[in-house]
Amino acid sequence: MIFRAVEDADLIRQATRGNVESFNLLVSRWEKRVYNYLLRITANREDALDLTQDAFLKAYQNLRKLDDPGRFAPWLYRIAHNEAYSMFRKRKPETDVEEIEPEATETKITVGGSSVFPIELSLAVASALDRLSTDQREAVVLKIYQGFKFEEMAEILSCPVSTIKSRLYTALELLKIELAPMKARGVS
Amino acid sequence: MSCSPFDLKDYFLQELPSSQRVKLEAHVKTCLTCREELERLQLTGAALFSLRDEEIPQRIAFVSDQIFEPSPLRRWLSGFWGSTARLAFASAAMLSASILYFAATRPAPIVDRPAVATVAAQQQIQQQIQQAVSNAVTEVEARQAEKTKQLVAYIEHQNVETLRSVRWMAGELDANRKRSQVRQMAMYVQPGESGEVK
Repeated sequence: MIFRAVEDADLIRQATRGNVESFNLLVSRWEKRVYNYLLRITANREDALDLTQDAFLKAYQNLRKLDDPGRFAPWLYRIAHNEAYSMFRKRKPETDVEEIEPEATETKITVGGSSVFPIELSLAVASALDRLSTDQREAVVLKIYQGFKFEEMAEILSCPVSTIKSRLYTALELLKIELAPMKARGVS
Repeated sequence: MSCSPFDLKDYFLQELPSSQRVKLEAHVKTCLTCREELERLQLTGAALFSLRDEEIPQRIAFVSDQIFEPSPLRRWLSGFWGSTARLAFASAAMLSASILYFAATRPAPIVDRPAVATVAAQQQIQQQIQQAVSNAVTEVEARQAEKTKQLVAYIEHQNVETLRSVRWMAGELDANRKRSQVRQMAMYVQPGESGEVK
């Protein structure tokens, strides 16, 4: 993990000197994670892909502003988060961002009518995540799926750790009520 | 309600320090309520992980583009600032350049600043010079007039003296001529008184 972080730092330094291939290597390491983060907060593949591309483009243009290459991941996710919320605002400018829900409100994520997660539990998970507020869902995605620490989440979401904890604990309580019994029954 | 010494959710989310983790694990072994609560959280986590990450439908790659690629100057600057040794050298060079610059440009304001006041100062100096010259001329003229007056007085005195001498000489000459006439008359009046008449 440490070795990987050093490698990322080297790639970042090379990219800041204009080495596009170094940045492409960096993108290849992070694109899947960023895409899935954006997919779970937007619930739309096309949006997630567009936002992922935009996020990496902005990251490349602003790479020299990254003071500590060791903080690349929170910095990159911060950009992705801002891109997503910028899109939410453009689409629903009259709505408070805190109230914005992802466009896909069905019980499963669909694109063009095709099922993304056919397994029953996956559907239940997607449904349970959909019922969370945007902030709660994002907190769960960053913590459970992306593995960030509270401090990193606070940096990404630009809010105190106490707020992060509050969102996450509430979300866990809601998810636990819905998912734990299902998992206990052996649905998978 | 959990009776755990530490938050079970923090444990589940792997946010507890190792020492607290050990204590909580020991507590959970003896507390049925906390063990069931932790199991529910772990079942929830397992359910959440059933949602697999998807592959990105289209790989992202950037090509070298003049629009987005940093310019050679910016790349050079970026590399330059990234180097401690070169940064130190640049600092020293800038310091030297600053010293040279200020050394070169320092006299300029001193020359320029009086230039603003030169006209007034020159006029003042000119007035002082004219005043001094005027005073000097006046003084010289006064001194010259005094000397001329003294010279005139001296010449008049000399003239008076000369005139007196001339008068005296004229008087003496007249007296000598009269004495000479008297002597001649005496010679003609008393001829026997001489040896030849006898």
